[in-house]
Amino acid sequence: MDETVAEYIRRTVLKIPRDEIKTMLEKWGFLSETQLQTVNFHQIKENISLDVVQLCEENSADIKQAAVLDIIYNHIYPNKRVWSVYQMNKRGEEMEFFDLTDFKKKFKRRLRSALKNVTINFREYEDNAIWIRIAWGTPYTKPNQYKTSYAVYHSQTPYVFISASVLRSNLPLLCQALVVASNYHDIREMELRSHSLNSLKDIVFKRYSQNFQTYYPRPLQERNVALESADPRIVQESRNEKERIQRVNREVFGDGPQPKLEFAQYKLETMFKSDPKMDVLDKKEPFRCLVKFSSPHLLESLKSLAPAGMADAPLSPLLTCIPQKARNYFKIREKKGFFPGSFVSP
Amino acid sequence: MESADGAARTLLSIGRLSRGPPFGRAHGRFGLSPSGRLLLPAPRSQENADPQRTAFLLRKQWTLYSVSPLYKFSNARLRDYARLLGAFIAAEKQKGLAVEVGVELDIKVAVSSLPDLKGSDQDQAAILVQLSSRSPASPKNSEEKLVWSGWFCCVSGDELSENVPEDFTCLPLFLANGAESYTSIVGSWFQKTFDCSFCRLAISPLNLSWMAAMWTGCKVDKTASAMELVFSVPCLPQPLDISYAIHPEDAKALWDTVQKTPGEITQEEVDVFMDCLYSHFHRHFKIHLSATKLVKVSTPIASAHCDGIIKFLQSQYLTGVLMLLTELAISQIQ
Repeated sequence: MDETVAEYIRRTVLKIPRDEIKTMLEKWGFLSETQLQTVNFHQIKENISLDVVQLCEENSADIKQAAVLDIIYNHIYPNKRVWSVYQMNKRGEEMEFFDLTDFKKKFKRRLRSALKNVTINFREYEDNAIWIRIAWGTPYTKPNQYKTSYAVYHSQTPYVFISASVLRSNLPLLCQALVVASNYHDIREMELRSHSLNSLKDIVFKRYSQNFQTYYPRPLQERNVALESADPRIVQESRNEKERIQRVNREVFGDGPQPKLEFAQYKLETMFKSDPKMDVLDKKEPFRCLVKFSSPHLLESLKSLAPAGMADAPLSPLLTCIPQKARNYFKIREKKGFFPGSFVSP
Repeated sequence: MESADGAARTLLSIGRLSRGPPFGRAHGRFGLSPSGRLLLPAPRSQENADPQRTAFLLRKQWTLYSVSPLYKFSNARLRDYARLLGAFIAAEKQKGLAVEVGVELDIKVAVSSLPDLKGSDQDQAAILVQLSSRSPASPKNSEEKLVWSGWFCCVSGDELSENVPEDFTCLPLFLANGAESYTSIVGSWFQKTFDCSFCRLAISPLNLSWMAAMWTGCKVDKTASAMELVFSVPCLPQPLDISYAIHPEDAKALWDTVQKTPGEITQEEVDVFMDCLYSHFHRHFKIHLSATKLVKVSTPIASAHCDGIIKFLQSQYLTGVLMLLTELAISQIQ
C-alpha cells in the first residue's frame, strides 16, 4: 500500500470522534466484520488509527477507497466546511431523464481534459444527492488529497452545493464540468453561504415553515391565562404591545424553526438622511457602509430582537427576506422615485 | 493584581487630585471643561520624534492597565532593574510557576527608556521592558526571540504628576503585549518593588464613542481603512454581533458637519454623530443600536476594544492617542 494513502487514512480516522469510528468504518465496508472485531475501539485514537491502517494494508487499500472514507466523513460532518449555493439554468423546459452513469462519465471526462492530475470520486445518497469529491493537483504534481473540493448535486433540481476549500482557482473548471455533465446551459453562484449544509437545502428547497397564516389559535393565549392567575397583584406592562410583537414576529418569521445561518452581509449604497433641524450631512452621494451580522444561529437571533426590545416589530424586510430570497449577501441601493424610504436589492 | 499595601492607598486619598476649580473630572470620562474638550493634537512634527524608533509599537495588540505612582523609581537604575527582574523570573520558574510547561527557556530582560513618548516636559519618559528568550540548546550568539513587551508611559499627565510627593514617579498607563503569565510576573515584581498597584483598564462604550468621533475627524490618506463599530448583543437566546463599517471619507464628511468649533469637541457633538449613525442603521434594519453594547471601534488611526485593548496604526497620532489613554488611566487611579 502506498505510504501516502496509509497516512491519509490514518489522518482521516483521527478526525473522527472516537465513539463514531466503528460505525463509520462499518459504513465504509472496506474492512470485513472479522477484521473490525480485532480492533480495540476503546484505546486512544492514535492507536486505533494505526490498527486500522494495518488492516487496510492487509487489504491493499488504494486512494479510491480512502477517498470514499473521506466522503463518508464529510457527509456526516458537513458543518466543518463552508458551503456556497449554485444554480444551473436550462435553455428549454424539457424534463430530461437523469442518467447517473452518463453524468459521471461526462463529468470525469470534462474535468480530466483540462487537468490530468485530479482524483474524482462519487457517492450517491437516498435523497437524490450525488456527492462528488475532487482532489486537485497541477499539471506537474499529483493530486493533493488534503486539498479537496466537494460538490453536492441534487439531480432532480438545478442546485449544486459547493465547498471549494482553498483552491478557488479551480472553481470555474468545476462549474463547467457540472454544467456539461448535467446537460444544463450555465451556472451562477447565488449569494448564499453557510456552514450548515442542511439549512442551505432547507432554504433553497423551501423546506422550512414559511410565514403562512395558521388556522389554529396558538397556545400563546393559554400561556397568558396561566400568568394572570399567578398573582393578581402582578400586572403585565404593555401587554398588548408584547402580544402584538409576538404576533407580528410569527407572521414574518413563520412558526417553525429557522434555517441555520451564521452570517448576513449588506453593502449599503443609500443616501444619508437626517432630521433637517440637525443641520448635518446633506450630500448628494451615497453614504457607503458595510454591515455584517453574525451569530451561531442568525435567524433565531434576529427573531428574538423585537421581543427583547432592541428592534421594532416588524423587523426590516431586508433581514426577514433572507430565507425567501435565498441569499445572505446583499447590495442595497436607494430606490429612485416615489418612495424614498424603500430600497432595491439587485 | 491589586496591592494589599495600605501605604499607597493612603497617599492617594490625601492629595485631592483634581484639575482645578472650573473643571470637574466626570467619573470614568475624559475630563470636560464647560466649553468642551481639546482635540487630538495635530500630527507631530518630525523634529524631535523619530517614527522609526516607535514603529515597533504599531500594529500590535496592547492590553491596558492603570498603574498607581511608583515609589522610589529611578531612571538611572534601569540596568539594575533589568537584572533584578531577570532574577525574579528565574526564581519563579524554579518555584514551579513555569510559564510554559516542558519548555526550557532562558529569559533575558531589557529595560530601556523611550524619551520620545511624552506630552509635556513634566511627563516622565516612557519605560520599556522587553523579555527575550533563547533556548539553552541553541548556540550562544543565536538570535534571541522577543516573547513579551510592556511599557509604562505618561502623556500629558500633569494632573497626576503635579500632585504627588517627590519620591513618586507617575507612569499611570501600562501596555502589555505577550503571554498573560509574563504580564503577571512582571506586574508582581513592579508591585513588590515600587509599592504600586496595577489594574486592568476597561474602556466604556461612552469613551469608545468619543474615540470614534475624535479619530474619524483625523486627516487620512485615500487608501485608509473603514471606520468600523462593533456591537454585541450577548443576552439573547442566540448571541448576535453586528459590524457597522463606514467608508472613511463618508464618516469624516459626516463628522465635519457635526463638529462646530475647530480645535474643540463637546459631548453633544459626539452624541449627535453617534445618533446619526444609529438612525441611518435603524432606517434600514429597524434595530436600535443604542440598545446594544458598543464593544470595539476601529479607525485608520487606532482601534480600541472595551476590554482595554488598543492597537496603534499611525505613528503621527501615537502621542495623541496615548494622551487619551493616560487620562483614562488617571481617572481610574483616582
